[in-house]
Amino acid sequence: MKTLAKENCPLLPGCKSVCVAVLCAVAAGALFAQTKTPAKTWTSPKTAWGDPDLQGIWTSDNSFGVPFERPRAYGNRKSLTDEEFAEREKENKLLASSIEAGVTPKAGYWLQHEGVDYQPYSASWSEFAHQTSRQTSLIVDPEDGRLPALTPQGMMLRMAAIAAARKKPRPESWEDVNMFGRCITRGVLGSMLPVMYGNGTDILQSPGLVVIRYEMIHEARIVPIDPHDHPHPHLPAGARTYMGDPRGHWEGSTLVVETTNFIGGRVGIGPDGAGVKYSEDLRLVERFTRMSDLSIQYEVAVSDPKTFTASWTVAFPITEEPGYQIYEYACHEGNYAMADILSGARAEETKEGVQPAAK
Amino acid sequence: MKVRCISLITGGAWLLFTLPALHAQAYRAPRGADGHADLSGIWQPLNTANWDLADHSPQAGPMWQTGAIGAEPAGQSVVEGGAIPYLPAALEEKKNNFASRRTNDPEAKCYMPGIPRANYMPYPFQIVQSPRGILFVYEYASANRLINMGKPVEPVSDTWMGTSNGHWEGDTLVIDVTGFNGLAWLDRAGDFASDKLHVVERFTRTDRDHLQYEATIEDPSVFSRPWKISMPLYRRVEKDAQLLEFKCVEFAEELLYGEYKKK
Repeated sequence: MKTLAKENCPLLPGCKSVCVAVLCAVAAGALFAQTKTPAKTWTSPKTAWGDPDLQGIWTSDNSFGVPFERPRAYGNRKSLTDEEFAEREKENKLLASSIEAGVTPKAGYWLQHEGVDYQPYSASWSEFAHQTSRQTSLIVDPEDGRLPALTPQGMMLRMAAIAAARKKPRPESWEDVNMFGRCITRGVLGSMLPVMYGNGTDILQSPGLVVIRYEMIHEARIVPIDPHDHPHPHLPAGARTYMGDPRGHWEGSTLVVETTNFIGGRVGIGPDGAGVKYSEDLRLVERFTRMSDLSIQYEVAVSDPKTFTASWTVAFPITEEPGYQIYEYACHEGNYAMADILSGARAEETKEGVQPAAK
Repeated sequence: MKVRCISLITGGAWLLFTLPALHAQAYRAPRGADGHADLSGIWQPLNTANWDLADHSPQAGPMWQTGAIGAEPAGQSVVEGGAIPYLPAALEEKKNNFASRRTNDPEAKCYMPGIPRANYMPYPFQIVQSPRGILFVYEYASANRLINMGKPVEPVSDTWMGTSNGHWEGDTLVIDVTGFNGLAWLDRAGDFASDKLHVVERFTRTDRDHLQYEATIEDPSVFSRPWKISMPLYRRVEKDAQLLEFKCVEFAEELLYGEYKKK
């Protein structure tokens, strides 16, 4: 520690002792810091009233392209190898550069639909990963990253649904279109999983409340926060909603949201609410943990003993991306596709001389 | 002793006169976490403005098949100073809207109600005051809107719920809404506006369980001058009050797509 000569003291005359004291403190602090950790560690931000701060507009875009269920070839491996990662990064970069150039990308969703005359979505609406994910799947538990087996009842309902769909070569009414196609809901998990656009989640907080608002389909879940040992009871069993009834509490800096009271048998548990339909016994336990200024780790444990033989967990980060905004998604108001799909089906039937539906 | 008694009596009388006046003078709402008047909670109108903003007598609804349940109740106007000042051509359009309301009212189709109508639909809504802005969550059709409380932003596109920029004037929340798509109606009687609609709303908490809601409506292509509506909003005071869902798309599909159903 260097002693400061009187003539070098930047403060007023007579304050040399202050300078020395300040320099001593600074030097001591520097020495102390050097013996502990060199860098300043990140601390999780807090709201003005002292709750962990999860607020912001978050997107799952960086997990777009990660399979929901792990392909069997990966076995129990949770992460890609460096080679596999490089492949995925290459595809993400191709997607990104095509979209940014306004050119139909030759990757992902676009490849699956190549050769189809009518491309339904402009590449300019498409979202894509800015940072490539290393995950082999979004499902992280069970070990194989795949959905557990269905219960006998779950299997029966699934087979019946598939058989009924096979009997109808074309949708007879809106009831033959899925709940997202009808612009009703994608369900809670379906609203978080990344798809090709509309992956925005807006989190707002006020004392005692956290609101999770999705861009698609503009639903807002109002989560009351209670002390863990004194939770607000859920709605009675007869009161059910598509987004369920959430209750939240803090575990350290993690927001835990427990949701029950779902309407069962209508919405699937996968991306956009597709896939196996969950029952009214669905119970979700979500965990939101701020990992940095720009990311939250999202985790959801799914339990539905009527449908699945075991619980399973999905986890991936949601991130803040520069310039990412949430816009009004007037799904139902703009659902011209429904009238087109149904009227088109009727026109085809007329052309084929198809008989009216059996009563 | 006599003098003191008199002064006590007059002093008491003075208090009796002034205390109620002092009490009525100004209700001061408790502060929210943002330091402003706390407007948070679940609110709902208790009038028939959604049927018709103007005075209305009871009358048959659009469908006799629902009997008295679908009929329109009586209601007093929420429009300040008389009738809605339509331009002549616009008044014709309002009449056409009324005649076709069973199939053309966006509410019947479960379309987002826009502003100001969202605030006087017969469903509760919740106000959440957060550092990111003030969120209004409407039970009807999962509609919601986030009021920007920072520097005003321009609408990026025309929307059903408009773009809301808010600021405080004392304890009154003032919201300036533009950027509408002109497709929402103002009530079930066919009152409407175009995409030039500009609404300025004022929310003031008048006591523990009431908000006073005022909205000035301006649209030079529909109305000859700006006009104003006002009404109280009532807090849902049930112990465990919470918003539920009114996802009404399923109830509107037959109306919208019935003609395309396989016969």
